[in-house]
Amino acid sequence: MLKLSRLLMLGVLVLAGPLFAQQFPVKPVRLIVPFAPGGPNDILGRLVAQKLTEQWGQQVLVENRGGAGGTIGLEAALRAPKDGYTLAMGGTSNLTVAPSLYEKLGYNTLKDVTPIINVAVVPYALALNPTVPAKTARDLLGIAGRKAGYLSYGSSGVGSMSSLAAELFKSLSKTQIVHVPYKGTAPALTDVVSGQIDLMFADLALVKPHAERGRLRAIGVTGLKRSPSAKELPTIAESGLPGYDIEPWFGVVTAEGVPSAVVSRINAAIAAALKSPDVLQRLAALGYEPLGSTPEQFAATIRADLAKYAAVVKVAGIKAEL
Amino acid sequence: MVETLNSLMHGFAVAFQPEVMMYAFFGCIIGTLVGMMPGLGPLAGISLLLPATFGLNPIIAIVLLAGVYYGAMYGGSTTSILMRIPGEAASVMTCVDGYAMTQQGRAGPALAIAAIGSFVAGTLGVLGLMLLAPTLASFALRFGPPEYTALLLVGLFVLAYMSGGSMLKTLAMAVFGLLLGMIGIDVMSGYTRFSFGITELGDGVGIVPVAVGLFGISEILMTAGQSDPPKVQRPTLRQLVPTASDLRQSAAPIMRGSLLGFMIGIIPGSAHVISSFVSYGLERRLSKHPERFGNGAIEGVAGPESANNAAATGAFVPMLALGIPTGPVTAVMLAAIMVHGILPGPMLIEQQPELFWGFVASMYVGNVVLLILNLPMVGVFVSLLRIPYAYLYPCILAFCILGCYSVSNSTMDVWIMLVMGVVGYALRKFGFDLAPVALGLVLGPMLELSLRQALAMSGGDYGIFLDRPIALTMLGFAVLLLLFAVKPLIFKGKDWRSKVGLDEPADS
Repeated sequence: MLKLSRLLMLGVLVLAGPLFAQQFPVKPVRLIVPFAPGGPNDILGRLVAQKLTEQWGQQVLVENRGGAGGTIGLEAALRAPKDGYTLAMGGTSNLTVAPSLYEKLGYNTLKDVTPIINVAVVPYALALNPTVPAKTARDLLGIAGRKAGYLSYGSSGVGSMSSLAAELFKSLSKTQIVHVPYKGTAPALTDVVSGQIDLMFADLALVKPHAERGRLRAIGVTGLKRSPSAKELPTIAESGLPGYDIEPWFGVVTAEGVPSAVVSRINAAIAAALKSPDVLQRLAALGYEPLGSTPEQFAATIRADLAKYAAVVKVAGIKAEL
Repeated sequence: MVETLNSLMHGFAVAFQPEVMMYAFFGCIIGTLVGMMPGLGPLAGISLLLPATFGLNPIIAIVLLAGVYYGAMYGGSTTSILMRIPGEAASVMTCVDGYAMTQQGRAGPALAIAAIGSFVAGTLGVLGLMLLAPTLASFALRFGPPEYTALLLVGLFVLAYMSGGSMLKTLAMAVFGLLLGMIGIDVMSGYTRFSFGITELGDGVGIVPVAVGLFGISEILMTAGQSDPPKVQRPTLRQLVPTASDLRQSAAPIMRGSLLGFMIGIIPGSAHVISSFVSYGLERRLSKHPERFGNGAIEGVAGPESANNAAATGAFVPMLALGIPTGPVTAVMLAAIMVHGILPGPMLIEQQPELFWGFVASMYVGNVVLLILNLPMVGVFVSLLRIPYAYLYPCILAFCILGCYSVSNSTMDVWIMLVMGVVGYALRKFGFDLAPVALGLVLGPMLELSLRQALAMSGGDYGIFLDRPIALTMLGFAVLLLLFAVKPLIFKGKDWRSKVGLDEPADS
């Protein structure tokens, strides 16, 4: 009897699968932002949530659950029921860096995560204090190469994107630059402006206004392509360090096992939102570059970056516990 | 000067627009309510409200958040004074003498002085911000990790003056606070310390749950342990108003607190929390009757409350002049305008004069609104004490748990608060003073980080502290403080400390 009813249930579920997806969502959806309010992850998450709410006529609620470099909130989302009603903002840090950084991470990105859509790239720039006599990445490598440990860089913490960007720079160029970690981007950037430390890899959006006023000197962006919001800035790869490529992105993910019909429906909705003029205008103002991939493309990006950052972490010798 | 005045007039034109006024007013009210919620302080208040401002225009958003920020600071002192529950680290000192005044039936004057002190400090702070912002901001930038280390050392030595009674007990509590501060990820290496495999502990033990537990929950437990319930207070109108001597005694501490707070506030980082501790230590040192501190000295409310508010305004100096978020609060504020595509930076004042001057003007308005809102409300707030304890305390406990949880949706914070409540209860039974725990917990992680950053910068050479004039001056001052503190131990002279009675547990 029990078996029969289970079988029936299963049958109903299989039949209702596509139907279920068409009606998705029938209740409010949670979008977990695994960081405190105010950062790029939060800004993008809220933009997505607002657009989804408009499209679906169902509330998409943003829930900030910060802590442990964005891993606590992501883990919570991955443990929620696998029905697509709990989404999370993932990023380069918690999806692709954390697995090689932390020995005891509560999730496995390849096994436990269903990628939905890659939302945007938040470009990084290399910023110097203006007193450092370098106008290009090549000049900087010259200085760093002549005197090991003469230059210092700030980061928002050990294992953060800003520190990995610098570690990749160091390992590719075989130079020694002293690492001075801070708690967050803001205090580190403040100390680059004031000349306490020499340089930092940080969000282009934060660097740009200071560079325009001459309080910082931006000498390059970290990706393989120039950023549309600062076309005059060369990439670091083209200006002295070939092969250098750091491109922090943020995307929406959910738990493994969520029906693929639901995943494609969410993907389509966000992809459409990323084409709407007001979203594009918002992103452009901040210098964020919209992506809008398919789930498969997003999965491929994640796999590639997992391998890339595992190598960076290994070479830099960073090991953290959780 | 004329130009500044013109700009300010322009700013007032913005601030007096009905819509802006309305939001400033709303912000102040919401802030006051949030601040009165145990465990929710200014930072939590504006973080929770930030998303709600994304749909507003940037000027209104920042005016609203500033209102919430100020309001929460006012509201936080209310719970500190009435119920011994600090909403944030900076109001820990207000708990000590403010609550002692409440127990003596003088909650009214304590609340009124806190409001007046905050108003004076806030107004002076805005004046300083307006006239001196660019000059001060470039001075503030000279504070790097070495200077910060020296400043925090000064803060640590102030501990010696902070509590009465046994120096040994004070130091023991300070060390306990410093040890609590060791929990969590070591920022320099990325390794986790003392977290016992609990992921949430990786980010360290927050000061708010600890302070609410140590001060608030322990008080609830203490009261529950008394054989007779405390008498319900029914103050008369006369008792609600500060006397002339209250005002006279508070005037100087308010002015000193404002100046001190503003100077500490402009320094980038989270050092502003130490302003209220330093002010308390200073007032106690300067007082002719230091033994009154801890037993309801009105100076112990006036000084720290003013310092706290002036520091809050001071923190806006580098934020507005240079577009640099110097602490968590200013970072949230800048995020609020960034969402609208305004990138904060050194050109903020020139490119967004309406935003800058409207904001400055709204701070004047906000301070006046809060004074008007808070002074007549003193009577209402004090009436809370009329509620019999059997009903009041369970409610407070529920609100403590709610407030603690809602800051970062973490049950870990609630557990920390409850455990600290029991620890605080035990420590108070043994006659330990709790304020040093809070200061130790606040200072410990900051001191460690800046010390190690400074040493990383210099390649391990301690000379970096002597090469820099500001750091050297402050270290000299710290050594001086230390010498004053150990002098009685060496010369066995009569110390002010001998006049100070132990902070006795309430029921003995």
